Amino acid sequence: MAQHPESPGEQTIAFRPIRDDEPAPELTSPHSGPGGRPSAGSAGFAVDATEAEPSHEDVPEAEDDPVRPAGPGRALQDAVAEETDGGPAAGDGEQDAPDADDSADAEGPADPSADPEDDPEGAEDADEHAEPAENPEHSTEHAEGTERAEHTERAEGTEHAADELDGDNPDGDELDGDRAGSFAMPEPVSAALTEALNQLRTAVKGLHFGLDVPGSDEARKAQAAVLAQLDDYVIPRVHMSTAPALIAVAGSTGAGKSTIVNSLAGGRVSATGVRRPTTSTPLIVCHPDNREWYARGDLLGGVERLAEPTRDATPDSVVLTSSPSLPRGIALLDTPDIDSVVEEHHEIAHRMLDAADLWVFVTTASRYADAPSWSLLRRAKERGARLVIVLSRVPPRSREVVVKHFGRMLHEYGLGEVERFVINETSVRDGRLPEIEIADLRMWLSALSVDDERRDAAVKATLNGVLNSFRTRLPALARHLETQVALRADLRSDVDAAYMGALARIDEATRDGSLLRGEVLARWQDFAGSGDLMRTLRLRRGGKGHSQGPERVRGLRAAVRAGLEALVNSAVQQATEEAVARWRQRAGAGDRLAATPGLGRPAEEIARRTTRTIAAWQDHVTELIRTEGVTKRSVAKLISFDVDSLSLIFMIGLLGYGATDAPAGAGAGALPQRLLRGLLGAESLRNISAKARSDLRARVGLLFDEETLRYVDVLDSAGIPDEAAATRLYQATYNLEVAR
Amino acid sequence: MTAVSTAERRHGLGSRLAALARIVELGQGRLDPALVTDAAQLLLRAGDRLKLSSDHTVVALAGGTGSGKSSLFNAVSGLELSPIGVRRPTTARTHACVWGIDGAGPLLDWLQIQWRHRFARASALDKGESQLHGLILLDLPDHDSIRALTDHEAHRLIQTADLIVWVLDPQKYADASVHRRYVTELTGHDAVTVFVLNQSDRLTPEEQAECVADLEDLLRREGVADPRVVATSATTGKGVDSLKAVLAESVAARRAAYQRLEADLDRLVLRLVKDVPELLRVESTVDGARRAGLAEALCDAVGVSALGEALENVHAVRSADWVGWPYARWAARLRPDPLKSLRLGGVKDDIRGLVASSVTAQPAEVDNAVQALADGLTAGMPEVWRDGVREAARSRVDELPEALSEELAEVAPPLDRVPVWWWLLKIWQYLLVLMFVASLAWAGAILAYGVFKAGRPPAEVLGDVAVLPWVGLMMISVLGLGLFSAMASRNFVVLAAGKERDRLERDMRRRVGVLAQNMVVEPVERELNRYNEYFGAMAAARR
Repeated sequence: MAQHPESPGEQTIAFRPIRDDEPAPELTSPHSGPGGRPSAGSAGFAVDATEAEPSHEDVPEAEDDPVRPAGPGRALQDAVAEETDGGPAAGDGEQDAPDADDSADAEGPADPSADPEDDPEGAEDADEHAEPAENPEHSTEHAEGTERAEHTERAEGTEHAADELDGDNPDGDELDGDRAGSFAMPEPVSAALTEALNQLRTAVKGLHFGLDVPGSDEARKAQAAVLAQLDDYVIPRVHMSTAPALIAVAGSTGAGKSTIVNSLAGGRVSATGVRRPTTSTPLIVCHPDNREWYARGDLLGGVERLAEPTRDATPDSVVLTSSPSLPRGIALLDTPDIDSVVEEHHEIAHRMLDAADLWVFVTTASRYADAPSWSLLRRAKERGARLVIVLSRVPPRSREVVVKHFGRMLHEYGLGEVERFVINETSVRDGRLPEIEIADLRMWLSALSVDDERRDAAVKATLNGVLNSFRTRLPALARHLETQVALRADLRSDVDAAYMGALARIDEATRDGSLLRGEVLARWQDFAGSGDLMRTLRLRRGGKGHSQGPERVRGLRAAVRAGLEALVNSAVQQATEEAVARWRQRAGAGDRLAATPGLGRPAEEIARRTTRTIAAWQDHVTELIRTEGVTKRSVAKLISFDVDSLSLIFMIGLLGYGATDAPAGAGAGALPQRLLRGLLGAESLRNISAKARSDLRARVGLLFDEETLRYVDVLDSAGIPDEAAATRLYQATYNLEVAR
Repeated sequence: MTAVSTAERRHGLGSRLAALARIVELGQGRLDPALVTDAAQLLLRAGDRLKLSSDHTVVALAGGTGSGKSSLFNAVSGLELSPIGVRRPTTARTHACVWGIDGAGPLLDWLQIQWRHRFARASALDKGESQLHGLILLDLPDHDSIRALTDHEAHRLIQTADLIVWVLDPQKYADASVHRRYVTELTGHDAVTVFVLNQSDRLTPEEQAECVADLEDLLRREGVADPRVVATSATTGKGVDSLKAVLAESVAARRAAYQRLEADLDRLVLRLVKDVPELLRVESTVDGARRAGLAEALCDAVGVSALGEALENVHAVRSADWVGWPYARWAARLRPDPLKSLRLGGVKDDIRGLVASSVTAQPAEVDNAVQALADGLTAGMPEVWRDGVREAARSRVDELPEALSEELAEVAPPLDRVPVWWWLLKIWQYLLVLMFVASLAWAGAILAYGVFKAGRPPAEVLGDVAVLPWVGLMMISVLGLGLFSAMASRNFVVLAAGKERDRLERDMRRRVGVLAQNMVVEPVERELNRYNEYFGAMAAARR
C-alpha cells in the first residue's frame, strides 16, 4: 500500500507500529473523557483502544503536518487508515472519508494538548513515520455521536478490532473490556478498503473450478491460498497494522529452523532432531505478554491454537507458546519444511508464510542451491514479502567461499539487497545453538522489536506486497475461470455440433430418396404392383370404398417406420460417437468427462423412444391428410379414398422421392406426387408436405435434445462455472486498487 | 532372486522383451501414447545395453547437491578424480571410473560420458581390488539443484545405469526431490538400488541409528520391500568398505544390468496392465449365431423377404394379364377407371415402371446391423479394443450397401419378367376364344340357314339343325376349358412364383452371407486376433 503523506485528497493507508516495551505514555485525547485511555476505550471501535500504549507513535508528525498531530488516541484500525481521495470530493458512498477529515480537524486543536506529554518519544516516532500523521484523522475523538449513526453497520467489525487491540496490549491495564463499545467511534479503516476486501473475499470464494483442465489444480490451490491469506492475514492486518509482527521462519527440511527458533526463544520450544521432516505443526513463540493476543487469533483466524504439538493435529492448527527471552512486539513462527516427502507440510508452510509479516528464510551450506529453496525465494519476491535470509550450518573452513557464492547467486537473482545472516556449523545442544552464533539474529530481532519504524516499514512492505501480488494473482484466477467457461461452452457446442450434424444427415437422407431402398422399396413395389394402390381409390358409385389390402398397407407402414427408425438410430449412434470423440480431443477435462460410463453409446431406451417418435409422426401425418387433405371438389365427387393408405403414399412420396434423384428409376419418381397432386391439388400437397417435414424434424430434434441432455448433465455434474464470477473478481480487484 | 544362470535369465529377458516389442506394435493407437513411447524407449535401451559389455556393471552415484557424491566417488575409487567443493552445485558433468577397461569403451560411449571425465583403474588388481573388476562407477551431477532444472544428465543416467546408489545425508534424506521423483518410481528395483546415508560422521551413533531406522521406515512405506541402507562417511572413510562390498557383490554377479532391465520391464508391464486391465481372451472367430444374425440383419436391410413377397404377389397379379381368362379381363376393362376419370392415366405406366426397378440396401440399416455385431462381440472387452473392433467392423461399411445392391441385382429377376409358358398359355387362351367365336359363328349359321331358312347354306354342316346342340355344347366346353385352364395356370403361376421366391431368397441370403463374411466378419476377426495376440504377448511379457 502506498504510503503517502496524508493529504486529504489521497488515499493512504497508514500503519501504526506499537511499541510494547516502552511504557505507554498517557495521552489524553481532549475529547475523550478523563485520561486518554478511557477516551480510547470510548471509541467503541477499536480505534482508540490501542492508542494508549502505542500512543507514542501517534504523536503528531511535526514534519508532515504540524497542524494535525496524531491524535493521541487512535486505534489500530487507523493503522490502516484509508482515506479515499474522494473523501469530500468523490464521496462515493464512503462515509468514512469525510469523517476522517472532519475528525482530523477536530483533533487539530486537541492535539497540542496531548503533544507535550508525548514529545520525548513522539519526536522519534515522528521522524520515522510520516504516516502516523494520518491516523489522527480518524482519531477517535471526533464527534462520537455523529459518527455513530453512520458506522453502526460496521460496529461489529469494529468491536472485533477492539478486541485485537486489547489483546496486544502488553500492559493490559488499558484493556477494560467495557471500553469497547461504549462509544461508537468512526471506523478508522476506510470503509472502502474493508468493503473492497470483503467484496474480494466473496468474489474469490465464489469461484468454482469444476472442470479439470490443465492448470485447474493450480488454480484451485491458488484460490485457496488467496482465500486463506485474506482471512489469515490481509483482512485482520489491515485492521491492526500496529499489532505485533509475525515473523515466519521457513526453509528446507533439516535446515535448522526449529533450532534457530529454540535458540532465539532461549528454550526448547520446538522439537528438533535427526528425523526428517521434524516439525509438522507450525509453532508461534512470542513474549508472554503478547500471548493472549496471538491466542485470540485475528491473524491466522481460522487456525486452531494448540498448547502443544499433538500427533493428530489437523493441518489447520498451530502451537502457541511463549518465552520471556523474546522481545515484545514480535513473534516467531516456526513452519514445517518446504521440500520433504511429506507434501502436506509444503502447503502448511506456504499458508503460514502467507500470513507472516516477515520471512526468515533458512537454508544451509549444502542446500543453498536446491531448487525448492529458490522457488520459495521466488515466491517471496512475487508476494513482495519482506525477507531476511539465514545461511546456516556453514562449515567455518569454507565459510568465506560459500557465503560469497551464495551472495552472488542471490545478487543474480535480484535479491542482493536482502539482509543476510550466517550461522556456522556447530554442535547443537539441547536443540539450541550457542548464543554467539545467533547474536546477530537476536540483535536484529530486538531492533525490530524496539524500532517501531523499522518494524512498521517491514510490516507495511509485506502487506503492500501482498496487495500488489493480488494484481496478478486475482486476474490469473479470473482468467482461469474464463478458460473454464470457454471450455464448457466448447464442450457444449461439441455436443450440439455432433447432434446438429446427425439431424442434417437425417434431413439429407429423407430428401435424397435413400430411404426408398431395401425393405421399404420392396414393400412399396409390392403395394403398388399388386394393385392395392389402385384399390385404395374407389369410385363413389362403386360402393364401400374400403381397401382390401390391410395386410400390405400394414407391411408398408411398418417398413417405412423401420426405415426411419434405422435412420434415426444410426444417426444417434454416429452423433454419440462423434460427441465423445470431440470431447476426447479437448485436453484434460473433456477427456475425463468423455470417459463417463455410458456416454460413449446411445441411451438404453433410445430405440424405444425413436419408435414412439416415428409412430407419433406417422399418426400425425395421417391426421394431417385427414384434416387438411381436402380433395379437390372435382375429385371428391368421383372418388373416395382410404386415408391410411393415402397417408402412406404421401410418406413414400415425401421421404422416398424427396429430390430429383430417385434411385428407383426416372419414371417412379413422379408416381406418388402425380397421384397425390391429382387427388389433393398441388397447393394443398405442398402445404402438407412442408408441415409433415417440419414436424418430423421437430420430433427428431426433440429426441436429440433429450440425448444431448445426458451430456449436459455430465457437464453440470462437474460444476457450472459462473461467468459472472470472473467479472465480479475483476471488479473486486479493481475496487481494491481504487480503495487503496 | 533365485539362482538362475545368466544365460537363462538372458533368455527369459529376451523373450519378454520380444513380447514387449509385439505389444508396442499391436498396441499402437490402442494404448496411451506416453506408455508406448516409454515402452519403445525401454526396448531401445535394453537392446543397446544387452549388446554392450555384459562384463561391466554401471553403478551410478546419485543424490542431491551437497550430499557427498563426489567425495564418496573419490573414496571408493581411492583417487581424487572428481572435484569436490563447498559451492553448490559442485559437479556439473558426470565422471566415470572404470575397473577393468577392456570392452568398457563402447559402453561409456553409449552412456555419453565425455572422454576427459573417464578414468580407469586398469591395474587395480595390484591393489587387491580384484573383486571390483568390471565396475564402472559414475559420479552424477545432482538432480535437485536449480541447475538440474535445465540439465537432465543426472535424470538420464539414473534411468540408464545398471545399479543406482542413492547418496543421501542426514539433512536431505527425506527430500521430496529424491523420493517422489525417483524412489517411488523405482519400486521393484530393490535388487539394483542401494541407499547410502553419507556424512554419518556428523551424527552421534545413537542419532545415526535413529536416522537409518527412520530412512528404512520411509523407504518401506514407499514400496521398497527390502531397502539396503549403508551408513558411510566419505571424510572418515567409515562404511566405505561396506559399500565396496555391496558393489563387489553386484559386480561379481554380473547380473545388475539384467536385473535392472527386468525391473524396468516389470514396472512397465504393471503400467500396461493398469492401462488395459482385463486380460480377457475372446473367441478369435465370430461364431455361427452371430454370423447368421448379421446376415439376417443385412437381409432385412435389403428387404429380402419383402422382395420375395413382392415377387410372389406381383407375379400373381400380373399373371392375370397373361394366363387369366380373357373374358374376365375384358369385363374388368368395362368398369369405370377412377384414374381415367381423373386424367391420371400415366400413373399406371408409373406403376409398371416401378416394379421394374431393382434391389437396393438401406444404408442406415446396414450401419445398425454392423454396429450390433460389434457391440455383441465386444461386450466385456476393454474400451480401447472395443473401439478397435467397432472400427474394424465398420471399415468397409460405406461400400457395403452398394456392394449388396450390385450383388443382389444379379439374382433378383425383374418383377415384370414374363416366362415363356405365360405366352403359350396366352396363345392357348386366345385359341380357345377363337374356337368360341368360330362355334358362335357356326351356331349362328345353323340358326340362320337351318332354322330360319335364310337361304341355302354354303355347306351341309352349316344348315344341319341337329348339330346345333353339339355346337352349343362345344361353345360351353370351350368357355369352360378357358376358365378351367385359367384357374389351373393361375395355380401354376402361384406355385411357380412360390418356388421362384424360395429360390430367390435362398440365393440372396447366400450372397449376403458371403458379402458379410468378406466385408465385415473378416476385418473383425483380424482385429480379434490382434487382440488375442496382444494379450498373449502381455502374458509373455509378464513372464
